[in-house]
Amino acid sequence: MKKFHVLTTALAAAVFLAGCGGNEAGDQKPRVAFTSMVSFGDSLSDVGTYAVGVVAAQGGGHYSINGVGATGLLWTNWTEFLSATLGLAAPCAAETGLNTIQAVLGAPPVPATFHDASTGGTCTNYAQGGARVTNPVGPGNATLFNASVPSTYSDAIGQLTVPVQTQIANYLSHNGGKFSDGQLVTVFAGGNDIFMNAGGVLAGVETPTQAVGAMTQAGTELAAYVNTQILANGATHVVVVNLPDVSLTPYAVGAGATAQGLIKNMVVAFNTALQAGITASANLVYVDAYAASEDQAANMAQYGLTDVSTPTCTSSSSLVCTVNTLIPAVAPAASGAAATAANTYEYADSVHPTPYGYRLLAELVSEQLAIKGWL
Amino acid sequence: MKKHSIASALVATAALCGAGAAQAQVAGQVMVKLGWNKIMPKVRSTELSAPALPGSTIDIKSASALFFTATYMITDDISVEALGGLPYKHDIIGTGSVQGVGKIGSIHQISPTVLLQYRFMPADAPFRPYIGAGPTFAKFYGSRGSAALTAFTNPGGPPTTIGGDTEWGATTEVGMSYKIDKHWFVDAALLKTFINTKAQLSTGQTTKARLNPVAINASIGYAF
Repeated sequence: MKKFHVLTTALAAAVFLAGCGGNEAGDQKPRVAFTSMVSFGDSLSDVGTYAVGVVAAQGGGHYSINGVGATGLLWTNWTEFLSATLGLAAPCAAETGLNTIQAVLGAPPVPATFHDASTGGTCTNYAQGGARVTNPVGPGNATLFNASVPSTYSDAIGQLTVPVQTQIANYLSHNGGKFSDGQLVTVFAGGNDIFMNAGGVLAGVETPTQAVGAMTQAGTELAAYVNTQILANGATHVVVVNLPDVSLTPYAVGAGATAQGLIKNMVVAFNTALQAGITASANLVYVDAYAASEDQAANMAQYGLTDVSTPTCTSSSSLVCTVNTLIPAVAPAASGAAATAANTYEYADSVHPTPYGYRLLAELVSEQLAIKGWL
Repeated sequence: MKKHSIASALVATAALCGAGAAQAQVAGQVMVKLGWNKIMPKVRSTELSAPALPGSTIDIKSASALFFTATYMITDDISVEALGGLPYKHDIIGTGSVQGVGKIGSIHQISPTVLLQYRFMPADAPFRPYIGAGPTFAKFYGSRGSAALTAFTNPGGPPTTIGGDTEWGATTEVGMSYKIDKHWFVDAALLKTFINTKAQLSTGQTTKARLNPVAINASIGYAF
């Protein structure tokens, strides 16, 4: 019996050792100790430049479905998802304001105001809706408004559209001309150069060849800003996101096959020039949002998407879209509930993602940062 | 006659040695071993299920731990062995589209195994190779996630955790023991286990992994 006792003791010990130990989060600190995130770009990175005046009155400010938790997700814009992943406070707009044309919209303009280091603030997201790479006039800029052209009425809102070149210059002049090691610097632009040039072709004031050439120039210029203004000024953690395939957006699809083909060529021209122009650097991660956007459209289920063609907002611009202005298919069943059904839709309006669409971009960027060893 | 007596003495001595050896591995004997075991999973995992970035797969790295066995000799040749030990802690590495991300987590595992063994050579031989086979019960628990895992599964959200599982598998082995004296022996074995598992993330995605680890161990044993 003693021999059997030895056997049973061993087995009991094995079972005992298998006992406890729960599944835990583990170390959630990024491998790089980031202290802040600095963003340059357009509406796709904007976290509230225009959340003032008439826009604020409608509960807007993000180019998506507005409102914290509107669709049950914690954040709205990809820069917000990303900064939370880095363990940082939510990003805020470095500059706010609206050049609203009061005669058209009945509301007064709101003066442009900085909230960054120049005014003792801590906001470092310089991205602005309507911003182009270099040209200071982008979609929604009040100078585009023409009382005799109905298609320009939306420009009466008066977006500042400070271009990326000036956004970077503003940062540098307000921060001693330098970036620091602890900063993650994100650059994501080019979409408004597509819209302005494609619009020029549709209006007959620009040839398709000129439009594609303008995109090559914009891509080359953005690459130069990254090289000479960001990397050369001490940034050691830079993320450049290329342009998603804008030809897949409801805006491009709705413009017809010819325009859609042109837009695709323009996007490719921009991305090719951007990637070719950026100096290879260990301090830079280039994220291919173009390939990801095509894969999302082709393999929706893989990404948890069911719709990549229907805008969920009933407002023409998602800048003022909230849970109260959603199409019936995704509107919350009860007042006050989250529009969780929107979390399988890619688009909020004809070009901007839903919060879920932004989350997918944040996943892609985060994955690339993790592979780089920064996260 | 003198030569004969010398021969008799040699035979008698040999017989004595044989008698001593017979203490080691004969029917009814119980033996225990204590040693070090290294488990080397040979992983092939499926892609993390949707919704997820495509092509995310995992590898599970080797781990070592103290192990012990208790063996009962049913006959001079056939034995049954229970194998247990301290938990193994394996690092989980991202592969596929997340190749290069490095460690994305870790998980503990314990895999008690019962083996039916056949031992070659006579019971009193000092050197006895053996083969064995039997069931393995694996319990995966005590996982840890990481900032990197959360980053590409739930950016900006609550940390992603990894759910373990319990699994049954089958183990085969080849080994050998070498007797040092009446009670003590040394032992080494090579084990191959056939086992699959499924890990589920707190964000809902799953990955099925064929683990099929090879294990090598060395131990010192005592025969009662």
